[in-house]
Amino acid sequence: MGVTMPSIRNPDLSVTIGKIKLRNPVMVSSGTFGFGEEFEDFFDLNQLGAIIPKGISLRPMKGNPPPRLFETEGGIINSIGLQNPGFQEFITNKLPFYKELKTHLIINFFGNTQKEYVELARRFDGIAGISGLEMNISCPNVKRAGIVFGVDPRMAYRLVQAVRKATTLTLIVKLSPNVTDIALMAKSAEEGGADAVSLVNTFRAMAVNIHTRKPELGNVIGGLSGPAIKPIAVRMVWEVSRAVRIPIVGMGGIMSAEDAIEFILVGALAIQIGTANLVDPKTGIKVIHGIRKYLIQNKINSIQKLIGTFR
Amino acid sequence: MPLQTDGMVVSNKRIKSVYYLLGIDCPQIAGQIKPGQFIMLKVSSDRSPLLRRPFSVYKSYSVSHSKKGERGCLFILYKEVGKGTQRMTTLKSGEKVGLIGPLGNGFILPPLPSSKSIVLVGGGVGIVSLFPLAEALKDRKLFVFIGGKTQFDILGLKDFKTFNSNIFVATEDGSLGAQGTVVDLFLSQGKIFRRDEEHYLYACGPVTMLKALARSNLKNFICQASLEARMGCGFGACWGCVVKTNDPKIPYQRVCKEGPVFTLKDILWE
Repeated sequence: MGVTMPSIRNPDLSVTIGKIKLRNPVMVSSGTFGFGEEFEDFFDLNQLGAIIPKGISLRPMKGNPPPRLFETEGGIINSIGLQNPGFQEFITNKLPFYKELKTHLIINFFGNTQKEYVELARRFDGIAGISGLEMNISCPNVKRAGIVFGVDPRMAYRLVQAVRKATTLTLIVKLSPNVTDIALMAKSAEEGGADAVSLVNTFRAMAVNIHTRKPELGNVIGGLSGPAIKPIAVRMVWEVSRAVRIPIVGMGGIMSAEDAIEFILVGALAIQIGTANLVDPKTGIKVIHGIRKYLIQNKINSIQKLIGTFR
Repeated sequence: MPLQTDGMVVSNKRIKSVYYLLGIDCPQIAGQIKPGQFIMLKVSSDRSPLLRRPFSVYKSYSVSHSKKGERGCLFILYKEVGKGTQRMTTLKSGEKVGLIGPLGNGFILPPLPSSKSIVLVGGGVGIVSLFPLAEALKDRKLFVFIGGKTQFDILGLKDFKTFNSNIFVATEDGSLGAQGTVVDLFLSQGKIFRRDEEHYLYACGPVTMLKALARSNLKNFICQASLEARMGCGFGACWGCVVKTNDPKIPYQRVCKEGPVFTLKDILWE
């Protein structure tokens, strides 16, 4: 097969983050796409720009007590508690599935201490089939009285710097929106050596059942996601895009191509589909087609020419 | 294998009080769904409610027409409880709805051949998921225990009567059948079931009912229970619908994937 040159009728959707060249800017975000295999019945996963499976920790985590989900207006509050089988089990039982796939695999990971983050980054570094890492810094640092890494710019900077030294893989830092100044956090990640930042993670939230007067979630507090958070996420991506030079992966309530384009216009080079995967497992594919259609309709031959063109 | 598809509403009627029966033309799912499996239904085309809702299938049929091709319908007996089901009551014939299914593991059927008795215990709308099971086991010796708060919560009585089954009804207010819970009624009939034989029991209903069954220490019964949970996706991706089990390695298991049918003694009630 010959190579088709990008044109107005066949726009180029590819983008590059660090060492990863994505066929299109659409990824599926960690925690909403299981380990990928759950979606195989619904569409060809190779169409996606990248898959980010459920976050992995050094040791298995049993997660939070149920109920873990509560639906609100245009959103979901979840308190899954990062349940995952841990590094070794992931490598043995989940990673082989990706050997058959041609799309990029980006590993989301997290730790309770800086040491754990570094250890995981080092372990993932030499493994074939992994294109990059996304570090979740929205976790409490057990060594620092449980202060969340991602809300303290200095702590985040040191953490990213240490992880950077431990891996040669493309490193994306996933930012928490539960901060006063997200641009400052993004800058800390950039200075620490991140290849890109992804934002936003979920907003801390809770809901109360007025009949039982009890929390709707077993863990009381959870994280809000879904279309309800999109306008705040768009604003945050816009703020970050003015503060850093590294690529931005935008996310937060993207349900359609229109939503994705909004993020791209304010500066996101790539986007992630999260909650929408649960409602319509084919959302990622629909977003890719919609972006392509938008580019054709607007006579733009490359997505590169769309990024950050918000006026 | 689950699939994502559209179905067309063929009927949506109130049966009694807050219970409705929704018929959806969807041959692809109707042709392969097994007793105890469920579907995820997008009850509105907009974002309210955002998530799909899980439903057991009450009845399903599928036929192959030489001219019309594959035809098949799913019938969902649902209770109006919240925003999602309220929205469902407004669905009209001819409307399109999104479905994902069949999902989860169904009931494990008792081995054949067997003269052993099979017990079904259903509370409220929980009886729904036991009906396809009864249909699959209609030639066996069935003992069906149906319970509810009042006579208006006793569902499927007429349908169960078409089988070769012994039916027992309990209502908490005594308005129909025995007064009390369905579990109490079942336990009071213990003498029917020989103690030197193993029996199969299938249960679906509210947590209080399943807990009461679990506490009853039914030594010569192999009990399977179909659980309900708030679900995010229904196909194993989000880990939002877990239940605590006695599995030492993975205590929180997914109702949608490892379930919804579990061995009753494996569940750790909190």
